[in-house]
Amino acid sequence: MLRILTVFSAIAAVFVICTSQGFADIGQIKTLKGDVKIVRSDKTLSAKAGDILEQKDSLVTGANSSVGMTFIDGTRFSAGPNSTLELSRFRFNPTTHDGEFQTSVKRGTLAIISGQIAKRSSEAMKVRTPASILGVRGTRFLVKVGGEE
Amino acid sequence: MKTLRSVFTVLILFLVAACAGPKDVIVLLADENGKVGEVTVQSTDGSKVVLNKALASAEVGAGDLTKGQMVQDRVDVVFKDVLSALPQNPVSFILYFRTGGTVLTEASKPVLKKLFDAVANRQAAEIQVTGHTDRVGSAGNNDKLALKRAQAVAQMLIDRGIKTKRVRAVGRGERAPLVPTKDGKREPKNRRVEVIVR
Repeated sequence: MLRILTVFSAIAAVFVICTSQGFADIGQIKTLKGDVKIVRSDKTLSAKAGDILEQKDSLVTGANSSVGMTFIDGTRFSAGPNSTLELSRFRFNPTTHDGEFQTSVKRGTLAIISGQIAKRSSEAMKVRTPASILGVRGTRFLVKVGGEE
Repeated sequence: MKTLRSVFTVLILFLVAACAGPKDVIVLLADENGKVGEVTVQSTDGSKVVLNKALASAEVGAGDLTKGQMVQDRVDVVFKDVLSALPQNPVSFILYFRTGGTVLTEASKPVLKKLFDAVANRQAAEIQVTGHTDRVGSAGNNDKLALKRAQAVAQMLIDRGIKTKRVRAVGRGERAPLVPTKDGKREPKNRRVEVIVR
């Protein structure tokens, strides 16, 4: 009986480990003001603090609105009013800290505090603006896309 | 004729300005310890500048890339809304355990209180709980013990009303000691749970 129980708990443990690595989430919304939307596939969702973010999500903020988020590698982002931001590609291995993070800011303002992914080289984390590509290594910086004054 | 010429000049200037278009602005900041990293700005035509000093900036439009320097006052004005939306720094805590089980040391009880406060003061807190052991006992048993320690701390948080899905507990056994030791050695500093609150 005890043996069956041990086997069962071992299976359960493996199951827990597997599912915890299978999370689709790459981060979460932490701060939110005003009107913020998540565009996921063809759906537009009204965002709130605590919402899970997935790769390929876009975030859209309205006038007098802003949003702040954290990612599982420790990266932090925030977007100011009238901004559109696409989380194009995100991959992170919590054991090796290898990963890749590509973001595209289409309009508005963005603040970035980089995390584990951008620690090693300036190739792993890229931010696109309409006129440029930014390679990021271990830092914090601000981006403002032109023409939104 | 003269008027026509000046109208023409104005028109040309206007067109040039329109072609140059609005520019993207990038500004590098120092972190809270004054440390500065690096951002490489590459425009669509392939030219590059490297920003590696606090408040170094780049302006980039179609076929036009210039490097500059911002002043803090202007950063505070232009980026006020976005800066105030940045989430807080993650905080971490270490809780120590008595040998062989999931009983916290006396000294760690105030730390546990600090952990609860940090979680309560944060919007949408996410908590990563990682259990560790020393090298007494087999590696396999230590994997189980490390996970049990992490789950015990996770349960304390859940008992205080934290949603289960916001807490992630993992065990790392004896793989990641704070103080490396020989196998079989007792080391109180390694019998611990590390908690990161994001």
